[in-house]
Amino acid sequence: MSHHLFVLSPSDTPIYNLTHSSSKPASSIASPLASNLPTWSTSAFAGTLTALSGASSATNHTSGGAVRMGGGQDRHVIQMIANASLDAVEDVMRKENTMYLKAIDKFNEWTVSAFITPGNTKFILLHEGKNDDGIKSFFMDVWELYVKTMLNPFHSAHTVVRSSVFDTRVRQSAKKYL
Amino acid sequence: MATTSKQYKGIGEDLWKGRAEKVNAELFALTYGALVVQLIQDYEDYAEVNKQLEKMGYNIGTRLIEDFLAKSNLGRCSDFREVGEVVSKVGFKSFLNISPSVTHGAPPSTSTSPRPMSTGSAPTGPSSGAYFTLTLDENPLAEFVELPEDALEGGLWFSNVLCGVLRGALEMVQMQVQAEFVSDVLRGDETTEIRVRLIKTLDEEIPVGDD
Repeated sequence: MSHHLFVLSPSDTPIYNLTHSSSKPASSIASPLASNLPTWSTSAFAGTLTALSGASSATNHTSGGAVRMGGGQDRHVIQMIANASLDAVEDVMRKENTMYLKAIDKFNEWTVSAFITPGNTKFILLHEGKNDDGIKSFFMDVWELYVKTMLNPFHSAHTVVRSSVFDTRVRQSAKKYL
Repeated sequence: MATTSKQYKGIGEDLWKGRAEKVNAELFALTYGALVVQLIQDYEDYAEVNKQLEKMGYNIGTRLIEDFLAKSNLGRCSDFREVGEVVSKVGFKSFLNISPSVTHGAPPSTSTSPRPMSTGSAPTGPSSGAYFTLTLDENPLAEFVELPEDALEGGLWFSNVLCGVLRGALEMVQMQVQAEFVSDVLRGDETTEIRVRLIKTLDEEIPVGDD
């Protein structure tokens, strides 16, 4: 099961992104398309790609249950999904006051959860399956790490986060909660 | 009566505790950080920023020494070694609440024959060239800071204001010193070290108007 985290500045420029492959067993997802597809294409990306392109042969199929990570084609799909969800984020943002907005958008088997910090920085997480508590804890952790990064005077709300310390800690947190 | 190292530590502690007005450490660190970032944006040259920080520190130091001497009531230091002890144990402790460790160094060349000095007076007091090195294990100024790439390449000493403070303060007590950073953890080094080297002891200037 893989997760994609995008951190966006208040002006919606990407500041940080992370792709994480979870070692926890993926909960069985009832993907509406899965039953119609041959078994070799029920990996995460294949389902989406097939739906998008309409082609029957997804070139990124994998063997067994292993999830294929970060092929060039896949990244575009993921980013498209993330971008598309931003509108939904803004809608929910206006209505609710809380920071953690749960699942705000669903795209085939990908759910998009969002977290908005008081400073209007958005954390978008693409994931499969349901993991509300884990994701909430993960977001809180990432938020704390983000605040520490923000305290660096050389960093503004729109600077890309290049700190390797931040990266390591986010990965650790992802391993813990996702 | 020589004051021992432990007594200096005690004096430093008391001064820190006795201080009525303290400022929040985060506010202090963030203010200083914003100052450095603004200087970088204004001057765009890291060597120039270092110089400006040092100049600012110099102005702070000339005023700080008055406060320090008034509160601590310490007398004149007998030699440069003692200066190092007082600065590290009393000075830094009472203002920043940190205790840097100090190591002393002898002047580079010691010769018994009288050498022509630029001041024309034989070195009877602290010997010129003597230095001490302050090793700061924590730096309240650089609390949350991570230097970006070009600052690292440009040679920025983030806490250079401290060097200026040392130079300014010691100049007011008749010691001309050169203070500079040797290493900085922000730059990736193991420790943060400031070396303070005595250049010369300044003669007492008779105030103009005394006839």
